[in-house]
Order: sequence, then C-alpha cells, then structure tokens
Amino acid sequence: MIDVNIGRSIAIAVAVLMVIVAAIYLVPRLRMKAPTEVQKVSEEMRAVTIFFGDEGADAFVSETREVPVAQAFEDQVKLVLAEIITGPQDSHKFSAMPPGTELIQVFWVEDTQTLILDFNNAFTANHPGGSTGEYYTITNIIKTVSANFPQVARVQFLIEGKAVESIAGHYSVDKPIDVKKWR
Amino acid sequence: MSGPLKMLGISGRSVLLAASVLACLAALASSLRAAPGRSLGVVYADGRQTEDVPLAKLDKDSDELFICAYDLARIFKATKFWNPGNRKLVLRIGNHRYMFTIDTRVVVVDETPTLLRMNVRYDENSIMIPLEFITLVLAPRSVEKIALDTNRLLLSIGSPEYNVTAIGIVDDKDGTRAVLSMTEELLYHIDSDTPGILRLKIYGGRLNPLRFTLPEGKGLLNRVRAEQMERDAYLFFDVKKSVLRYRVEFEGEETGTAPAGDVKAPKKLVLFLERGKLPEIPGADFAGKKMVEMLDEGAQRKIIEPVRKIAVDPGHGGSDIGRMGASGAKEKDLNLQIALMLRDRLMEELGVDVVMTRTEDVLVPLDERVEAANTAGAQLFISIHCNGWFTSDAEGFEVFFLAPARTEDEERLGRDENASVAFENQNLTDEGGDIDFILWEMVQNEYLNESSDLAEMIQREMSKALGIRNRGVKQTGLRVLKGLTMPGVLIETAFLSNPKEERLLLSAEFREKIVEGAIEAVRKFQSRYAGKG
Repeated sequence: MIDVNIGRSIAIAVAVLMVIVAAIYLVPRLRMKAPTEVQKVSEEMRAVTIFFGDEGADAFVSETREVPVAQAFEDQVKLVLAEIITGPQDSHKFSAMPPGTELIQVFWVEDTQTLILDFNNAFTANHPGGSTGEYYTITNIIKTVSANFPQVARVQFLIEGKAVESIAGHYSVDKPIDVKKWR
Repeated sequence: MSGPLKMLGISGRSVLLAASVLACLAALASSLRAAPGRSLGVVYADGRQTEDVPLAKLDKDSDELFICAYDLARIFKATKFWNPGNRKLVLRIGNHRYMFTIDTRVVVVDETPTLLRMNVRYDENSIMIPLEFITLVLAPRSVEKIALDTNRLLLSIGSPEYNVTAIGIVDDKDGTRAVLSMTEELLYHIDSDTPGILRLKIYGGRLNPLRFTLPEGKGLLNRVRAEQMERDAYLFFDVKKSVLRYRVEFEGEETGTAPAGDVKAPKKLVLFLERGKLPEIPGADFAGKKMVEMLDEGAQRKIIEPVRKIAVDPGHGGSDIGRMGASGAKEKDLNLQIALMLRDRLMEELGVDVVMTRTEDVLVPLDERVEAANTAGAQLFISIHCNGWFTSDAEGFEVFFLAPARTEDEERLGRDENASVAFENQNLTDEGGDIDFILWEMVQNEYLNESSDLAEMIQREMSKALGIRNRGVKQTGLRVLKGLTMPGVLIETAFLSNPKEERLLLSAEFREKIVEGAIEAVRKFQSRYAGKG
C-alpha cells in the first residue's frame, strides 16, 4: 500500500512537472505564432476522422470533417478534438462529451510519444456515469487521436492540470493510456 | 486559440466542406451516368469503417476509372492544396508530395515527374484522378501496404500483420481436422450455441476473411466462414450431423510433440471433428476431457474447482454516487440493494460463501475491491452496476468481462526484466509503471474463458428473466476486473438515464429478477465446471 502511494505521488509529481515545463516552453511560443498562422489556416484543409457514439450507445460511428491545417502539432490536435466536443452533424450520432467540456491545453511529449490532454472540471463533474457512457467518452477520444495522429502512442488525461483516478469510476485514467492497447 | 482565428477557421472550413460535398456529389452524379453502380470498396486496417466510394468512367473508348480527388485525399488522409490559377493540385500523403496538373498525365512526386496513362481531368467541378495512380504511383512509395484489386474494385489500406495465416482441412477415417496456422498461440473460445455450427473465437486474431471462407468443406465440414472483427477473429464451422464430438487444441499441447525451442515455428490450432457411427477404437483416448459432445452448451476447457466462495461487488458508494436517475435514484444505493439480495440468495439457494466488497454506503477504491476478493480466495467475482448514457435513448442490460492483455506484453515483460527490479527499488520510470499495469491485466487472462462463459450465461439467464433489451456480452478494460485471480464479470443491469428503466430499477420486483438471472447463471456455471476435475 505504501509503495503504491509513493508511486502514485511520484507519478503525479512527474506529470505535474511535465505540464509545468511544457507550459513554460510552449505558451509563449503559441502566442507568438498565432497571428502568422491565420493565413495558412484558412487555405489548407485536412480531412480528419471523428468518432462518436450512435444514439443508443450501440456502436462507434465516424464522420469525416475538414479542419484547417495548423502548424503546431498541439494546435492540430486541439482543432481535431474540438470537433468531438462540437458534436456530430447527424442527429443519429452522439458525442459522448459531458456538457460544458473544454479542452484547456494540449501538450505533446515527443520522447515518450505521449499526448497530454488537459480538460476542465466539467469533463468529470458533469459526466453522466455508467460503464457505457464512460467507455464511449474515453474511446471516442482515443479512436479519434489514433485515426488522425498515428505518431501518438499514449494519451494522458488531466483534469485542470491534475491526474485523476478515473472519469466516472469504471476505467483507470491515472496513467497514460496506450492507444494501441486501449479496449 | 483566439476568437477571430477560430471564426476564420470555421468559416474557411465550412466553405471548403461545402465545396467538397458538392464536388463529390457531382462526381457521384457523373459516375452514375457514365458507369452505373461502379464503386470502389475500401477496407481500412486502422479501424475506419469500410466504405464504398463512387468511381467515374469518363471516356466512351476507355475503361479507365477515375476517382474524385477529395475522396482520394480522405481515403489516404492527405493534406491537399488546390491552386485554381495554375490548375495544380498537391496532395501530401505520408512523406511524399504528389503534384497533379489538370489535363496532363504528369504527376510530380516530390521533385521527380512520372507519367500516368491518362490525363488528370476536371469534370463537373471536381478533379478526377485515374485510378491507376493508386497502383502505379502511390502503392510503391507508401509505407502502409496498399492493395488494389482492379477486378473486384476492392482497395485495402494498411494490411494488418496477420497472425492467423492459413487453414487446411484433412479428412481420414477417424474424422476431420481443420488446422489453423498461427504465428503465436492465441487464446480461443469455442461454442456450439447454434446447432450444427461451431463458433471459434480467436482473441486478438487477425486474418484475411477471404482466405478463410471456404464455400466447400471436406469430410465432416460443410463449409467455413470467417469474420474479422475489430479485435478478434471468428470462424464459423458448419459441420455435418454425423459429428459425434469435437475438440480444439494446439498441436502437441497434450502429447508434447510440438517442436521444442523453435519459437518462430508456426503454431497449429487443430479443430478435430470425430466421426460418429464408428466403433470406439480401444486404447484411443478420444474420450479425454477435452472432447466435447456436440450441441452441449459449450466447450469444456480448463477445469476449475467447484465454486464455494463468491465475491459480490456493489459498484460505487460513499462520495462516488455513480449515475443519478431523473427522479433522483442513486446508482450506489440500487447497486447495494441488488448486491445484498444476491448475497442472501446465493448463500441460501446455492449454499456458497459470499464476500462483499462493501455492505454500507462507503467509498472503496477499485484496487481494494480486487484485493478483497483475491485475499478472501473467492472463486467468482460479480460486480453490480446500473448504466448511464448521455441521452435517455440507450436501454437494456449488458455483461462485461475483461479484454485480454495482448501477448506482446508478455514478450515485453521478458525483455524488460530489469525494469521490474527498478520498480522494486522505487526508481519509478514510465517503464516500471507499465510493467505493474501489464501484470495486473495478465492475471485475469488465465480466467478469460471462464469469465467469458460466466458472462454469456448471465446474459442468457437475465435475458429470460428481465424482458428488457439484451445488449450482449462486452469486453473492455474495466479496472475492477483487472488483477482478479478468479473469473470475473460486471453486470450493467439497466440504464438509469432511461426513465422507463429507472422506474424498473426502483421496483423490488425487477431487482429480484436481476438476482434471479444471476443466480440461475451461477448455478449453470457450477454445473458445467463442478466435479469434472
């Protein structure tokens, strides 16, 4: 038990540290780049695949969308995942994102091919619960990331900068999720 | 991202989207006109859904088919850039850049021009590219495997590495053997729920269904049909009535004749169908414990001890309410009520001991629930939950068991022996954390067949008892099933997000039916496994 606790605190500390380092490094860069990106963004588009659940939670269904091509990888991820939060065009599909969900920041740790997704509190607080609901929330994100960003090996969820045990109490998200092994 | 940027992005996006929709509609219309019904079936290995993409025949004199550039870009996840001024289209696919010029045969790949046999065309507002571009130019340069069958108009992208590679059928006087070659020993499950059909599920199996579907069998096999699902492969063996019994095992599993030491040698999984109406050959041990009577409820696999102790796990509790129904019903309370009823009836009717992971409204971490069941020496684990969805549409019950950890993990574990030492020393690296995680998953692997059986039995019995939609048996990575040293399942009894089902869950009568179904399933499970050792 003690080992696990120490392990967990170290893991959280490492995650938080990574976020801080990444934030210090990235935030000024993003700001600087933003104005020059506008031109490019509106011209070049990229076809992406976005996953949703169907209305009865029976199957994963995808939609193809066009999103602007962003220069920074993190921005591209944000543009793509924003499509899940925006929701499907078809009323027979359903986005398994809790109401009020916002993706605050995205960090990319190239060494470990880990994508860190920092969501706001609504992502867990407003989650409707149920194994099925939670499974679709995580899987829609993992499937969408995997379909559009093959370089991502792992996805780490954070809630307002902190790692949490679980989103709705059925699946562990305290450690990075291996994209290929997620099931 | 700032406001104006976002707005610009969206408007640009919708314009392009609308344009692409129009362009593809135009291409569809022209393809319908020119060559009715011509379409390209596209099969992806990356989990995208198989789709039909329209093709167009643009010349009367030529059979060459064209594909709309927008479709092509989507299929190959290309970044595209169209310059109407010089009529050039650039597609960036993988590490290469392909530049097309309308009404020419030239494709400039990176800096090098190559020639197609036909011109790239601009037809009814869309850029049409000769289909041969895929085979002549794209496929040879692609990292992903691209295969285009021009006769059947079937395109497959990124062939997964098959681990189930071949099937052979041998028939002799004893019976018929279907031999499956695999690159590794995969877990499997066989049942004969449908009379005359043996269903073999290969966990993590990847195969080419075309190669494994045999319209004509041999001996006792009428035909074989294969299906590749996202995670697992299925083979359906249609067998003759004269099959007396069957068994499945890896070659050499019993006799030890498998070539030792050679890990690269293909593993052979053999389905043996025994011919009926033949006298038993003295000494031949066909009646071994793996032999299964046809049309028995399922195959007999690992023999476990009779079940004497069962762990019952009411989901959530304390500050973790779980799902809340529209009328205010809390999942944690309903789970506990159902679980306590299940405990009492298991003890009374089946005479087994029951370990509860909680009996009060308290929060118990998931790993402690697993630990409690393991240390108590429970032989079955049943977790009780109520489900939730984002709208009131979802309905029905479902039963989960753990998706198996992949065998790659075992290989990795072997390679990373040092990592576990590092873990003990609390030199917590990412690797160490992973190893811990993998071990937990692998523990439950050993009980996968039993967990699957129990899940299917619960599903069947609850379906009879409940009268609500049966959503089937599901396999995912549920935390509370990881690390169990016993077969384990999680029952999502009904949806609290569905007002009709919430009312049902609030009635004691319905909760009794849930327990009824679970009890009946455990009884069946016991009788299948008990006393057969």
